[in-house]
Amino acid sequence: MAPQQSRTDIASVDVLPQVRLVGVTKRFGAVVANNAISLSLMPGRIKALLGENGAGKSTLMAMLAGRFKPDEGHIEVAGRRADFTSPREAIDAGIGMVYQHFMLVENMTVAENVLLGQEGGFLLDPAAMRATVSALAGRFGLPIDPAARVGDLSMGERQRVEILKLLHRQSRVLIFDEPTAVLTPPEAEALFSALRTMSAQGKAIVFISHKLEEVLAVADEIAILRRGRIEGEFLATEVDSPAELARRMVGRDVVLDIARAPVPLGRAVLDVRGLSGGGLKDVSLNLRQGEILAVVGVAGNGQQQLVEVVCGLSRPETGEVELLGHGWDAFSKHHDWDGALAWVPEDRAGLATCRSLDLTDNLLLTTRQGFSRGQWLQRARAREAARRIVRENNVQPGRIGLPAWQLSGGNLQKFVLGRELLRKPRLLVAEQPTQGLDISATEAVWQQLLAARADMGVLLVTGDLAEALALADRVAVMFRGRVMGQFPVTDAAQVERIGALMAGLSEDAA
Amino acid sequence: MNVVIRRRETSLGWGALVVYLGALALALGICAVLLMLSGKPGLGGLAILFRGAFGQGYSLLDGLVKAIPIFLCSLGVALSFRMQIWNIGAEGQFALGAVGATFVALALPGQPWPVLLPLMFLAAMLAGGLWGLIPAGLRLWLGVNEIISSLMLNYVGILFLEFLVFGVWKDPGSFGFPMTAEFSPGGQIGRMGPALGLNLGKLHWGLLACPLAGVAYGVFLSRTRLGFELAACGEGERVARYANLPYGFLVLLVMGLGGALAGLAGSIECSATLGRLQPTVMVGYGYTAIVVAWLARLKPWPIAFTSFLLASLRVGVEVLELRLQIPAAFGQIMEGAILLCVLAGQFFLDYSVSVRFARLRRADSAAPGLEERA
Repeated sequence: MAPQQSRTDIASVDVLPQVRLVGVTKRFGAVVANNAISLSLMPGRIKALLGENGAGKSTLMAMLAGRFKPDEGHIEVAGRRADFTSPREAIDAGIGMVYQHFMLVENMTVAENVLLGQEGGFLLDPAAMRATVSALAGRFGLPIDPAARVGDLSMGERQRVEILKLLHRQSRVLIFDEPTAVLTPPEAEALFSALRTMSAQGKAIVFISHKLEEVLAVADEIAILRRGRIEGEFLATEVDSPAELARRMVGRDVVLDIARAPVPLGRAVLDVRGLSGGGLKDVSLNLRQGEILAVVGVAGNGQQQLVEVVCGLSRPETGEVELLGHGWDAFSKHHDWDGALAWVPEDRAGLATCRSLDLTDNLLLTTRQGFSRGQWLQRARAREAARRIVRENNVQPGRIGLPAWQLSGGNLQKFVLGRELLRKPRLLVAEQPTQGLDISATEAVWQQLLAARADMGVLLVTGDLAEALALADRVAVMFRGRVMGQFPVTDAAQVERIGALMAGLSEDAA
Repeated sequence: MNVVIRRRETSLGWGALVVYLGALALALGICAVLLMLSGKPGLGGLAILFRGAFGQGYSLLDGLVKAIPIFLCSLGVALSFRMQIWNIGAEGQFALGAVGATFVALALPGQPWPVLLPLMFLAAMLAGGLWGLIPAGLRLWLGVNEIISSLMLNYVGILFLEFLVFGVWKDPGSFGFPMTAEFSPGGQIGRMGPALGLNLGKLHWGLLACPLAGVAYGVFLSRTRLGFELAACGEGERVARYANLPYGFLVLLVMGLGGALAGLAGSIECSATLGRLQPTVMVGYGYTAIVVAWLARLKPWPIAFTSFLLASLRVGVEVLELRLQIPAAFGQIMEGAILLCVLAGQFFLDYSVSVRFARLRRADSAAPGLEERA
């Protein structure tokens, strides 16, 4: 097909979106993962879908890929309603996904991977296969050696193989899930130019990311997804700076109005001075009993590394970390199960709990020293305590004999928080504590945290600015492993600049 | 056609029995077909097998005797399987246990049994336990996969046993046969029958070790803090690190205890069944124990029951070998067939499968959908 011809093809269908989502809603129990989402994916356009973890991006993609069915609304392909019952149907309809984890056979060549399952006849013709792949790669500006073994390729090259697979299947809509997460900066640049080439040839492209600069660099249109809703959709040219985009992404709207009585400050529980290494650069923070310090920022800017150091999983490379008045080494080796440190991790189902153990055993996971006499476990007492947590925090369903995997995320989170507070910590680390939770569970968790701060210092790591402003006494903004600013939430001028700080714009740059 | 697979939210209850019986029937069916393919009567062969295994009082007693070492080894491997440490080394630990017990028996001849037997057991558990600690240490400090190292150490252990029996420990009066001198009476576990005035065949007092070990296993896992920590570690090293569990210590513990139990089994087998050490003590109980632990899903009562079942199968296959001139490997084939069928069947305990015939217009795009509610 000559390029001129394809141009006219595009022009004729340009009025029609390639794929349209019409009022699509998806619920998991009480959680609305996607709420009445309407989006149009146009041929020849790159649409960026921007949102924090847990905003509902993966649910949306799973529906486009035919893995979930929407509870309400529907998907249209080329103007016709399509109800996918399997991933195969979505692929046949021309929707292709490039996932973060590549689905390639490492021992096969590039050409074999691209043509896998579509070789045509019984006999293979390697030379013809290589020629097909070369032609395809040349047309879309994805240089690659079709004879190379995939296992020998870099991440960027593997990603090109994934894209070629979709192009060979005539996918008209290509969806990229955080495609630059595994790429080096030059590889990312090459990807961007390939994206532009593909869109120029009439493909509709969706680019999912939470990296602001990239979105501005590559997208024609930007849609912001927050708590399951499209919170805004606009042309990339309407946005002046990453700071403005950050502001639009994290939002400031108060989801819940929550009363916050001041609490007298006590002793210092955490003192970090000049912590560097492992992605962190000269981080200094301090936290006292009676306050909540929110660490905000776009995910992947060093929050994870900071939590791992504070919680004793990785040793600080340089800098001082003092916990409850002890040095890091002394504290991490010998701290007591209670009266010291408790941690509510982001991964509540895979890390904070064991999915197949019941609630009593999951209670014992971090409190077992408190429920044993010598080597003997006191299960009856543990059951009583588990029942109390379930009752006081309204964990549903309230049966402590259920395995953890049968609880919804919100109920599991209330249980985990109740368990960690049972340890009477003086330093509590809470990571994304309300991610994916519905409004009532969010409010319950917030109340728990606010009440808890009278007896402890709370380090709240969150990507949700509304949460940080509702709960925290002070805010620290992280960007690329640095703390860009640290100030009380009452400092209105500074709070106004959070978006800019999250995008890496400091005083002198602004 | 659309195949929908879902995780069950409630357990199957008595339906599980149907699944197990179905799997067992399938395995026996496969064995009958194999018999027919080799020109023997299929169903007739199975009948001979069953009569051989369960038909007579003495065959049941024989099964019980063989179940003792299998049960002890199986508890040992189940302990490590609980925390996802794959100890395949029971066979070698069993061999080292036999060597340890023999060392004591030969070094202290003529001692009364209350002195000699406990010392033999102690030496056996020590030797087996240390043998089990080798793969544990290799895993913890050098990152060596314990499946490979524990399996390889089996061959080392067995060859070490043979080296001793063919060499320094060979009985001068054995006419060149590879065996040690017979243990002194105090080093031999007696039979239960004469003492109780009953005809109990070859059943010996070593049986008592089974309820003791079984109860200790159950109490350890359900009532102690270490036992709980062990189960929690089975969820992976990340959870162990989060919950501050002593992962490394537990790896050493389960491999040491598992080795000790297999070693104890080795010493009992030597002392009660043979009365001396000879290479024929190694008949693969350590491997059968792995099959048993899996079939029984690591629970003590099912381990006891399954040990007896697979021990009886061995007895039945011995009869079959004699009557139909079947090669001895047939027993292993049966064991393997049962394991595969039951493991495949266990899928249905956790998942429900329903087949839906979707609209015919898309009959060509039959794609299996795999769903799991998390």
